Amino acid sequence: MDASLLTENLSYILPEIVISAALIIIVLFDLIFHNDKRIIPYLAVAGLAVAGFFIIDQFSFEGSAFATSSSANNFGMITVDNFGSFFKLFVVCVSILIVFFSFSSEEIQKTFDRLGEYYALIFGMILGMIILVSASDLILIYLALELLSLSSYVLAGFTKLRDRNSEASLKYLIFGGVSSGLMLFGISIIYGMTGTTNLYLINPLLQAPNLNLITVSFAMILIFTGIGYKISSAPFHFWTPDVYEGAPIVITAFLSVASKAAGFALLIRLIKTTFVTFTSPDGYWQLINAFDWQALLIIISIFTMTLGNFTALWQNNLKRMLAYSSIAHAGYLLLGLVVMSDQGLTAILIYFVFYALMNLGAFYIIMLIANKTGSEEIDDYTGLGSAAPFLGVSLAIFLVSLTGLPPTAGFIGKLYIFIALVDAKMIAVAIIALLNTVVSLYYYVRVLKHMYLQKSDSPKDAILPSTGQILFILILLVPTLLFGVYFTPIVTFAKNSISLLGF
Amino acid sequence: MDGFPILSLLTFLPVLGMIIILFLPKEQSNTIKYTTLVITSLQVVFAVILLGNYNYGAGGIFEQSSFQFIEKFRWIEITGISWIGTVKVDYFMGVDGISVPMVLLTAIISFIATLSSWNIKSQLKGYFALFLLLDTGMMGVFVSLDFFLFYIFWELMLLPMYFLIGIWGGPRKEYAAIKFFIYTLFGSIFILLVMIGLYFSATETIASGERVFTFNMLALMDQTNYSPDGILSPFNPENMRLVAYIALFVGFAIKIPMFPFHTWLPDAHVEAPTPISVILAGVLLKMGTYGILRISYPMFPDITRDLMWYIALFGMVNIIYGALVALAQKDFKKLIAYSSISHMGYVLLGMASLSTTGIAGAVFQMFNHGTITAMLFLIVGVIYDRTHTRGINDFGGLANQMPVYTGFVTVAFFAAIGLPSLSGFVSEALVFVGAFGQESIRVLTMISTLGILLGAAYMLWTLQRIFFGTLPEKWNKLLDIDKREYAMFIPLTIIIIFLGIYPSAMLDIMNTSVNTLVDYVAVSFQNMQLSGF
Amino acid sequence: MITVGLEHFLVISSILFSLGLYGVVTRKNAVMVLMGIELILNAANINFVAFSKYGNFGYDGQAIALFVIVLAAAEAAIALAIVLNIYKTFANVNVDEIDKLKD
Repeated sequence: MDASLLTENLSYILPEIVISAALIIIVLFDLIFHNDKRIIPYLAVAGLAVAGFFIIDQFSFEGSAFATSSSANNFGMITVDNFGSFFKLFVVCVSILIVFFSFSSEEIQKTFDRLGEYYALIFGMILGMIILVSASDLILIYLALELLSLSSYVLAGFTKLRDRNSEASLKYLIFGGVSSGLMLFGISIIYGMTGTTNLYLINPLLQAPNLNLITVSFAMILIFTGIGYKISSAPFHFWTPDVYEGAPIVITAFLSVASKAAGFALLIRLIKTTFVTFTSPDGYWQLINAFDWQALLIIISIFTMTLGNFTALWQNNLKRMLAYSSIAHAGYLLLGLVVMSDQGLTAILIYFVFYALMNLGAFYIIMLIANKTGSEEIDDYTGLGSAAPFLGVSLAIFLVSLTGLPPTAGFIGKLYIFIALVDAKMIAVAIIALLNTVVSLYYYVRVLKHMYLQKSDSPKDAILPSTGQILFILILLVPTLLFGVYFTPIVTFAKNSISLLGF
Repeated sequence: MDGFPILSLLTFLPVLGMIIILFLPKEQSNTIKYTTLVITSLQVVFAVILLGNYNYGAGGIFEQSSFQFIEKFRWIEITGISWIGTVKVDYFMGVDGISVPMVLLTAIISFIATLSSWNIKSQLKGYFALFLLLDTGMMGVFVSLDFFLFYIFWELMLLPMYFLIGIWGGPRKEYAAIKFFIYTLFGSIFILLVMIGLYFSATETIASGERVFTFNMLALMDQTNYSPDGILSPFNPENMRLVAYIALFVGFAIKIPMFPFHTWLPDAHVEAPTPISVILAGVLLKMGTYGILRISYPMFPDITRDLMWYIALFGMVNIIYGALVALAQKDFKKLIAYSSISHMGYVLLGMASLSTTGIAGAVFQMFNHGTITAMLFLIVGVIYDRTHTRGINDFGGLANQMPVYTGFVTVAFFAAIGLPSLSGFVSEALVFVGAFGQESIRVLTMISTLGILLGAAYMLWTLQRIFFGTLPEKWNKLLDIDKREYAMFIPLTIIIIFLGIYPSAMLDIMNTSVNTLVDYVAVSFQNMQLSGF
Repeated sequence: MITVGLEHFLVISSILFSLGLYGVVTRKNAVMVLMGIELILNAANINFVAFSKYGNFGYDGQAIALFVIVLAAAEAAIALAIVLNIYKTFANVNVDEIDKLKD
């Protein structure tokens, strides 16, 4: 490989390079200046900002890096396209929010002496995610997935303040290890059948007439196991409630938003580059017959949202309830993929932006309240509406948005999913999803009921957030309301971001 | 009035009030109360101004040119980058003869409910902020002409209502509040689904000449806008219009509430504080029937025709069932709640007749029921404030103790029964005349007249049990109504008597529009038959 | 004389895969579960190497196997650290007994 080609290839992965460099700088800084740990978060934000800059720059071009041969239709290991850039930007933005999130986290502040490790691991996750969303080679996908997973196993049990931290870590590890093992086995079968691990090269080979469809289906189900675990869709969701409840709230928030998004990006890229022959003018994808993704995803998504919503009904721990709610949201998001159209894809991207706002907001407030009361039990929220008026109203708005009622952003997210479903004439699925929304109302409103409708026996101490915390909440709250009534910018952005390289 | 955004002002004035209240300190309870009172009375003033400038000759219903006080501009516009073309949602408001009575009703009832809220003791700030938000939602529903906007307002009411019942309600408030919430959300998901289905079935030409999908209600009424392959298009042989109509109807019927979707109403009424019961009975229930007239009828004229017998049937069931259950009640407030179900049955019956007389009767009945039932709930509230009981059998002989109160009660009760020269009589008579004229539902109409008899029975019986007979010892210190209560009762009494003597005041407002609606339904139905559907 | 062909490798890898899965599902001891995971990874590795040799796909498969071995080692290191931590907290590593978090 000559030097100019190398430079060109490297220019495609500038964001990844920046994140890696930031990771190394954080580790070194932590080793050399152990007394100035409070600078580390600012280093992290700076690194993320630079990476974000390069990602925004990448919106203007498409390409692929590290091709194994120079033939015309040979795509490399990493692709740069608007779809990938969207998710990279999403991950980086969420990560910046997570850094500020960590400032207020008592759990993280208590382990202040290990702050360097904390941010190093966070950056490991970020690196894993941004490679995952742009990788177009099954092996690179596997490596990125493992990088993401290994960092998050440790982070789930990072604080070690309570027994439940370690338990979360172990459960995450075991489920993660098994599902990524299954995924790797699936990849090995695909490699055996096609002789390549590049998604773009697999596509034509899967159209061969004498393909053994059972083997392909078997391999694809194994690969889906790995992805399904990341997006916590049923039946691979068992780790979710335990890990979400056990992990520090910051990490729970991060996992529920960024990690899920990376998993979705991977699933979409896998399906679109490997199984789609072309996109018809009305936006629908023509799938290869090798594997019926649509049938699988319909069943999985309905199962996922129904299970998530119904189990959430009898949760008493708010974090655990939000874990089930995030499972349900994975189900709604899968609906956007079920329709197999550009319109559904747009809906997913829109939904993710709004989901990030409201979910991070809800977790942040739960964390602020837990910092004071030391509890996430819903029963302990009784009477909080008057003890913490601002936090109460904000949490109420985030929860209403998660339910999907207008005029909040959550409604627009759901609306676009349903529009995609109705356009694809999947009315029955849409009705099931809508009924699920009604079920979800019950458990979200239960929190409001405790906060406002019930009187607490003992007077609660007032919880007054600091100015910085109020500001952070407003950064999430204002868009949640604003995008509920004026969503043009997000929809336009999402529409511009659905193009994958080669499609 | 050209260019003056009176409808937006009417709708968003309460939001302004809400913001002011949120910035007021908690302790200044009087300032908060008076702010709300000023806002709601301003709303009444604007509603009257609206009425003063309203042109009685314009029909509205389906053509934009005959709507009045129109405000229309592009709200969401996403230009086509790919397959779907331009996505646009309009901020589109306007009124015609069907919405003007409802706008008036909303303004009046909100004002009265504010007066009635004077006794609210705890968490005033939250109460009045939510109250005003609710007001915005109600007003918005009646003036929106874009389905999307309509839906936003429709849903906007749910949360304030949940809190208003849930925080300031009676002993079983939590149950009642969540029941209300779940029922109405369940209804509105069907509305949402039909809304999306309609969106994909019809297109509208925009300024640039491009044809785009639309939420514009008026465009959705025009059959020529439908594309042959839309799932709710009449030109698609495999369309799902019947299913969609039923879904939409269920969505609205829950709000009315129509039997068998009515069970949330008695719970909500019994637990809600008086002003919220007033709002609920006075305005919220009307949204269901208004939605049917504004959306179901003109958009699905063919199916409306096919199903009119069933609508009348449900109307009849509502009338008889509500009245029978009311007879059996021992709780004063529950009795009024069931009588309310019965009276909404007249609205359904009148609408089902598809005749000018019947529909005019229905719209008039919506207005009258709003004022009469509001007054009945206020009456319950007055006695409950003084005695903290609502058991009908706990009372007796109040007529001597509280003569003025008894006078107002008698007016309201007789209006509810439908005594001539009071407003209820006119609307019920119109409903029956209209429904009787329609041969296919004549039998149902005849059965429904039993409702009047039953209504008289439970009302008079209640009147007798509470106000005549001997006064129990414990109530001989009860005071008659005070100035604030006068202020609530007098306007409603005047409206009830005035419209009973001079119903044309209201009928003239709606006449042209009701005619237009009836013609429109008939003509589009014929057109569709002619073209083979 | 039997010639060793692709099938033989695939049979071996399937057996390993099944054993691994069986171990993951049935074993209660966290360390045994981790060993099951290792078996699954190695089954995949055998596949990669065998396919690469018999399918004439170049050396890709063997390179992949190397990556996977490294990754498996990293995963084992982290996994054992976590298990050790669990042992310190709960004084056992039985997956069924570590259940403070549940519905």
